[in-house]
Amino acid sequence: MKKKNWKRDDLIVRCLADSYLPIALVLGFYVILHGNISPGGGFQGGVLAASGVLLLYLGYGFRGAATAVNMERMHKLEAVGALAYVFFAMLGIFAGYNFCRNILWNSGNIGDLWSAGTISLMNYSVGFKVLTGVGFLLLLIISLLSTGEDHEHDGTIPTTEHEEGGAAK
Amino acid sequence: MTYEIFKHFPVLAIMCYFVGAFIVTLAGKRRMLRNVVAGAVMLISLSLLLSLVVPVMVDGQIITYWMGNWEPVEGYAIGIAIEVDALSLFFGLLVAIAVALAGFYSFRYITQDDANGPFFTLFLMLSGGVMGIVLSGDLFNIYVMLEVMTFAAVGLTAFRSWNPNAREAAFKYLVVGSIGSTCVLLGTALVYAQCHTLNLAQISAMLPGNMNPTMVFAFAMLFTGFGCKSFMFPFQPIAADAHGAAPSSVSVLISGVFTKTGVYGIIRVSYFLFRTMGLTSMQTLLVFIGCVSMFVCVTMALNQHDFKRLLAFHSISQIGYILTALGLCSALGIAGGLYHAINHTLFKGLLFLTAGAVLYATGTTYLEKLGGLARKMPQTAALFMVGAFSISGIPPFNGFASKWMIYQATYEKAAETGSIGYALVTVVCVVTSVLTLASFIKVGQSVFFGQLPLEYENVKETPLSMRIPMWIMAALCFLTGLFPDLMVEYLLGPATAAVLDTARYIDAAMGAGYAEIVANSTAYLAEPVLVFAGTWDPVSWLLLFVIVMCAVTLVSLAGRRSRGALTLADDAKHATFFGGEEAEFSHVASGDLFWGFKHNLRGYLNFMSRAHSGITNDYVVWGVCAMAVITVYCFIFM
Amino acid sequence: MMLANYIGAIALIVIGFYAMIVKHDIIKIVIGMGITDYGLNLLIVSIGFNEGGTAPIFTFGELTSGMYFVDPVPQALTLTSIVIGACVTAMALALCVRLYKEYGTLDSRRIRRLHG
Repeated sequence: MKKKNWKRDDLIVRCLADSYLPIALVLGFYVILHGNISPGGGFQGGVLAASGVLLLYLGYGFRGAATAVNMERMHKLEAVGALAYVFFAMLGIFAGYNFCRNILWNSGNIGDLWSAGTISLMNYSVGFKVLTGVGFLLLLIISLLSTGEDHEHDGTIPTTEHEEGGAAK
Repeated sequence: MTYEIFKHFPVLAIMCYFVGAFIVTLAGKRRMLRNVVAGAVMLISLSLLLSLVVPVMVDGQIITYWMGNWEPVEGYAIGIAIEVDALSLFFGLLVAIAVALAGFYSFRYITQDDANGPFFTLFLMLSGGVMGIVLSGDLFNIYVMLEVMTFAAVGLTAFRSWNPNAREAAFKYLVVGSIGSTCVLLGTALVYAQCHTLNLAQISAMLPGNMNPTMVFAFAMLFTGFGCKSFMFPFQPIAADAHGAAPSSVSVLISGVFTKTGVYGIIRVSYFLFRTMGLTSMQTLLVFIGCVSMFVCVTMALNQHDFKRLLAFHSISQIGYILTALGLCSALGIAGGLYHAINHTLFKGLLFLTAGAVLYATGTTYLEKLGGLARKMPQTAALFMVGAFSISGIPPFNGFASKWMIYQATYEKAAETGSIGYALVTVVCVVTSVLTLASFIKVGQSVFFGQLPLEYENVKETPLSMRIPMWIMAALCFLTGLFPDLMVEYLLGPATAAVLDTARYIDAAMGAGYAEIVANSTAYLAEPVLVFAGTWDPVSWLLLFVIVMCAVTLVSLAGRRSRGALTLADDAKHATFFGGEEAEFSHVASGDLFWGFKHNLRGYLNFMSRAHSGITNDYVVWGVCAMAVITVYCFIFM
Repeated sequence: MMLANYIGAIALIVIGFYAMIVKHDIIKIVIGMGITDYGLNLLIVSIGFNEGGTAPIFTFGELTSGMYFVDPVPQALTLTSIVIGACVTAMALALCVRLYKEYGTLDSRRIRRLHG
C-alpha cells in the first residue's frame, strides 16, 4: 500500500510531469504537422504526443491518467483515424485516379506547411490514429500492471491489435 | 480495355475488410449493427472477387494496379503494385469464401463468449491481411500483411478468456511465428539489396539465372519464413496449440486461410521469384518436407484426446499433401496441389465447424467425455460424416478427386524420372490417407456414436444460423468433388498456367517485352498443359454407388420377413447367464480404439509425444534448426 | 565501416535467437525477439546506406552537383519494421502478464499445459 501512495504524493514528480506534459504534446503535434516537409511524420509525432499519457501516469497514478483520458473514447477515435486515412486514400478513386493518389498535388508552394495535398491529410490521420492508439495501448498496459486498483477495463489482450492497419503504410 | 472498372476491385476487396474492422470498433456494444456491418463487408468482398472471375480466369487478363498511379519509370517499378493473376485470384476466392462462411457461423457462435466486442475487428483484420497477401504484387507489402495477419491470429487465439490454455497457446504462437516473420523480412531485405526493387514482377525478371550466395541465402530465408506460416513439419506444434485454444470459426481461418498464405508464398518464391523449382534438389526438398509433415502429423493425430487438437494435426497433414504435390513441378502436380488446397479449406473448415457445434452444445471437446451425440444432433453428425469422408478421400467427395490427382502426379513423376523415391511418396500418401480414415473412425465413434453420457441427455441441435454455413460447406465439398472437369477448366487450369507462365506476369506489370529484355531465360519450368493419365468419372462412380445402395436395401428388405421367426427377447442371453440384468453397454473410449496398433508403435509414438514437449524454447530450437538445415541444403545443392 | 554494420546486425540476430533458445524466462524470450528485430533493422538501414550521401529529403539551394542521397526505401522499411517490432513486444509482454497471473510463474518449462 505504501508503495502505491508514494507515487501519487510525490510533489516533485507531479510538478515535473505537469511541466513536461505540454512540451510533449506540443512537440508531438509539431512533428505530426510538419511530417510532409521534415523528418518524422504521423507515427513519430503520434507516439511523442501519446507519451503524455505516461507522464500523467507518473504524476497522478493510474486513476489520474484514466480519469483524465477517456479510454473508451480513445479506442473509438483510433478507428475514426483509420477510417479517415482510408477515406483520404479513396479520394483518389473518386477523382478518377488510383487508390492513394494525391489529388491536390499542385497546392501550395514547395516547403510550405500546406504543400503536399492529400498526402498531408493522410499523414495527419495517421498521426491522430497513432496518438489515440498508442495512448490507449499505454493505458491498457498500465491497467494490467496496477492490479490492486479497480480497473474498469478488464484488459482483454485482443483490443491492443489495431495498430498497424494505417500506420504501416 | 473493356475491363477498366475492374482494376479497382482488388484494392477495394482488401480495404473492405479493414474499413469493416474499424466500423465494427465504432459500433461498440451494439451487437446487431456489428453483425450487419461484418456480414455486409464479407459479402461485398466476396462479390467483388467473384466478379473478377470472368476477366481473369476466363479471359486470361492480369490486373495490374499501381497505388497512387506511380507507374514504372524507365523499367524500374517505383510504386507499390497490386497484381492479380489467376493464381492470386484463386487464393483470393478461397479466402473470401472461407471468411464469409466462418463469419456467418460466428455470429451465433461467439455469443457464448464474454468479451465479444473485439472479435469481429480482429476477424476482419485477419481476413484483410490474408487478402492483402494473396493480391499484393510487392514483397514488402506481403511482409506487412503477414504481420497484420499473424497479430490478428494471435489475438484471436488468446481471445477466449474462459479457456485456460488460450494465453499459453497465443504466446507460443507469437514467439515461434516471429521466427517466420524474421526470416521473411531478412529475405526481403537481401532481395532488395540485390535488385533495388520490391516489385514481384521486376524481381522475378532480374533474379533467375543471377543466383549468387546472398540470393541463395535470401531464398532459404523466404522459403523457411513462408513455410513457418504454412506450419510445415518442424513448426506444427504451435498450430496444434493455437487450434485447440482458438474459437472454432477462427480455426477455420487459421487452418483454411492462414496456412494457405504460406503455401501461396512458397509458390511465389520458388516458382516465380527465384524459379528454382526446376532444380531436382529443390523438388526433393519440398517433397521431402511435405511427406514428413503429412506422416508425422497424421500419427500425432492418432494419439490425441482433444477433438480440435486432433483436427489441427490433420490440417497440417493435408498441408503436407499440398506441399508434396507442389514439389513435383509438373502441371498435373500443381493442379492437384491447388485443388487439394481449396478442398482442404472446405472440408477442414466443415470439420472445425462441427467441432465448434459440439463445443457449443456440450461445452467440451474432450473425446473421452463425449459419445452418442448423433442421437441428439443428427444434422451435425451427418455433416461430420461428410467432412470425414472428404478428408479421408472416399470417392464421391472432393478429397478423393484431389488426392487422385496427387497420386497420379506422383507416379507419373516416378515413371518419368525412374526414381524409386517418388514411388515411395505415393505409398506414403496412401498410407497417410488410410491413417486419416482410421483416426476419423475414432473421432466419429467417440463423439457421435456409442453411448450417450448421462450429462448430455438435454443437449440440443445447434441453431439454424450455425447449421446453414455448415450445410453450404458440405454442399461445396460434394460439388467440387463431383465436377472435377469444371474445376480444372475454370479454376485450376488458369491458376496452374499462371504458376508456370511467369513471363506473362512480368509483362503485364512492367510493359510488354520487359521479360525478354531483362530475363535470362523465359523458358517454362514445365509445360503448362494439363494432361491426365486417366480422369476419374464421378457420374459413373455415383451410379455404381446408387446400384450398390439399391442392392443392399433390397437384400435387407427381403430379409425382414424371416425376422418374425426369432421369438427370443433381446436380452435372452443375459437372462440365461446373468440372472436377468439389463444389458449394459460399455463405451469404447477413444484412447482404447486402435490400442493394438498404437501399442506396436509405442516407441515411435512416445518419442513423438515427448518431442512435442510444450516448452517454448524447444519449439524455437526446432524452428531455428529447420532454418539452418534448409539454408545449408540450399547452399550445397543450388 | 559497412562491414562492421553487417557483422553487428548478424551478431544481434544470433544473440536474439540465442536468448530465445536458451533462456527459460519468458520475459527474456521476449527480449530475444526484440534483439532479433533490432539486428534486422540495422541490417536494412545498412543496405540503403551510401558513403557520403545526404539525407533523402528535399532541400533548398544546398544541392550541388555530385551530391547524392542515401536510399530512402530501406529507411521507410525500417520504420515500418520498428512499428511492427514495437507491437510484437507490446503484445508479447501483455501475454506474459496474463501468463504470470494464470500460472504464477515466468518459467517456460512450467508453462506447458499444452503438450503431446
